[in-house]
Amino acid sequence: MTRTRILLASVIGFALVFPYVTPDPDFWVSSGGSRALWLGVTALSMSFLNRNLGLMSLGQLFFAGVTGYIVAISSVYHQVKFGVSVPLAILAGTLSGVIIGYIALKTKGVYFFMLTLAVTLGLYSFANQAQEITHGHTGINSIPSPIIAGVDFSNTKSLYYLFLAIAVALFVVCKFLESTSFGIALKGVRDNEDRMISLGYRTMPLKMIAFVFSSLIASISGVMGVFYVTNISPDSVGLLRSIDLLVIVVVGGATYLGGAFVGAALIAVFEAIIQDYTQYYVAATGVLFIVVLMLAPQGLMGITAQIRTYRANKAGAS
Amino acid sequence: MTQVIFTFLNGITLAGLYFLVASGLTLIFGLMRVINLAHGAFYLLAGYVSWTIADKTHNWLYGALVGSLTLGVFGTLVYVLLLRKFQYEELRVALITLGVSLVLAQAMLAIFGGEYYQTNIPKQLSHAIPIPGIQLSYPFFRIFVLILAILVAAGLWIFISKTRYGAIIRAGVDDTDMVSALGINVQAVFIWIFFLGSLLVGFAGAVGATTNSFGMGSDGDYLLFSLQVVIIGGLGSIGGVAIGSFLVGVIGQFAVGYFPTYAGIITFTMLILVLAFRPQGILGRRE
Repeated sequence: MTRTRILLASVIGFALVFPYVTPDPDFWVSSGGSRALWLGVTALSMSFLNRNLGLMSLGQLFFAGVTGYIVAISSVYHQVKFGVSVPLAILAGTLSGVIIGYIALKTKGVYFFMLTLAVTLGLYSFANQAQEITHGHTGINSIPSPIIAGVDFSNTKSLYYLFLAIAVALFVVCKFLESTSFGIALKGVRDNEDRMISLGYRTMPLKMIAFVFSSLIASISGVMGVFYVTNISPDSVGLLRSIDLLVIVVVGGATYLGGAFVGAALIAVFEAIIQDYTQYYVAATGVLFIVVLMLAPQGLMGITAQIRTYRANKAGAS
Repeated sequence: MTQVIFTFLNGITLAGLYFLVASGLTLIFGLMRVINLAHGAFYLLAGYVSWTIADKTHNWLYGALVGSLTLGVFGTLVYVLLLRKFQYEELRVALITLGVSLVLAQAMLAIFGGEYYQTNIPKQLSHAIPIPGIQLSYPFFRIFVLILAILVAAGLWIFISKTRYGAIIRAGVDDTDMVSALGINVQAVFIWIFFLGSLLVGFAGAVGATTNSFGMGSDGDYLLFSLQVVIIGGLGSIGGVAIGSFLVGVIGQFAVGYFPTYAGIITFTMLILVLAFRPQGILGRRE
C-alpha cells in the first residue's frame, strides 16, 4: 500500500512541476498536460463504472455533451454568467444520468455497451439536426474563458492547474467511495448480483447511485472540454471521439482507476507526436488499440500482473 | 393526406434499407454471439466500392456484386485474423471491431476524401410509378428496395429454419462440441456465417449508396440506425429486425417530416420507451 502511495505522490509531484520542466511549454502544457487531464477525467468516469460494476459505458460522452452544450449555448447566446450556467449544466448532465441509467442498467455486458453507444450517437445526430439550438455541424465557437477570483483561465498554465486540481479531487473522491461500505457492496453486485439480492441488498439503487455519480464526473469533464477546446460541435460527441475515449480507457487499463490518466497521457502524447509524422494518426491510434486488445487486454496498468502470471504459468509448466 | 401517404412510403422504403443493413449484424450476433461494431464502416466501404465499380462500368449490378463480395471476403478476413481467437469474449470482440472501424474510417477518408457520392439508379428501374388514389407518382427504385428487403427476409428465414445447412448452423451455435463430434467442421460453419453476414451488409451498402448520398460520417449514421433497429427489435432475431426497421423507418420519417428539429429526440424516446418495458427488445430472448 505504501508503495502505491509513494508512486501516486510522485506522479502528482511530477504533474505539479510539469509546466516548468517540459521542453516547449507553450505546446506541451496545453496539448499534452491539459488535454490529458480533461480526457483523463472523462475516462475516469468510465473506469469507475467498469471497475466497480463491470459495465463498460460509452454514454459518458452523452453527459459530457449535454453539459458542454448547455454551458456553450447559455454563455455565447444568452450571456449567462459561468457562475450560474456551469452548476446548472452539471446538474442537468447528472440528472440525464438518472433517466439513461434507469433504462441502461436493466441490461448487462455487450447490450449495455451497445445501448450506451446508441445514446451517444443519438446526441450526435440530434446536435447535427437541431440547427436552431445547436447550430448544426458548425457548432458553437469562441466560447469565452472563465475568470475566477481574478485569475484568467485563458492562460494555459492557469487552466492546467485548474484541471489538475479537478482531476486529483475527483480521483480522491472515487478512491474514497470505493473504500466505503457502499463501494464494497458495489463490488459484490459486480461479482455476483443474484447473491447480493439473496443477502437482502436492493441492488438497483446501488447501481443507480454509481451510474449517476459517474455521469456527474462525465458532466464535469464536459465543462472542462468546453473551456479547453473553446468550441463544441456534433463531432465532440461523435463516433470517433467515443472510440478515442475507449482507446484511452483500454490502453491505460480498464480495471484500474489510475489507468484513465495513464491512458489519457499516453494517447495525448502519442497523438501530439505522431501528428508530425503522418496525417493518418487516427488510424495509427486504431492499430495501437487493436494490438493492445489482442495482446494485453488489461492495459498498461495491468501489464506487470500479466507478466507475473505468464512467468508463474511457465514456471509451473516446467 | 398526400403528404401523409408520401411520408409513409418514404418511411417504409427506408425501413427496407434499414432491414438490409441490420440483418447482417443480427445474423452474426444471433448465431455466433459476435457483435460487429465495424458494421457502419463496412456499410460505407461497400458504398464506396460499389460506386467506383458502377461508375467505371456503367452497370449497377456489377457494382452491387463486387461491393457485396468484397465485403464478404473482407469481413471473413477480419473474423479469422482478429476475432476468432476471442470469439467467446463478447465485449473484447466488440472493442476490437470498433478499432477496425477507426482504421477503416481513416483509410476511406484518405482515399475518397470528404465529398459525398451517390450511385446512379439503373435505367430499367429509374422510372416513377403512379400511386392509386392520389395525384402523385413515386420513384420505383425505392419500392424495389422494399421488395428486395422482403425477399432477403424470406430467404434468410427459409435458409435458417428450413434447410439442412440452417439446421447445422443452429446446432453448431447451441452445442459446438457435440456438432464437431458428429463430424461437422464447426469452424468452417462460423466462417460461412461471417461471410454471409458481411455479404449482406455489402449488398445493403450498394443499395443504400443508390437511394441516399453517402460519404464521411455515414459509417456512424448507419451504425446508429442498425443499433436502434436491433435494440428495439431484439438482437439476434430476424423478425425483430423487421419490426425494428419498420418502427425506426416510419416513425423516423414522420418525425423528420413534421418536427425536423426534434426528430432525433422522437426516435430516441421510442427506443427508451420500448426498453423501459422490454429490456431485451420486442422479439429478443432473455439471457
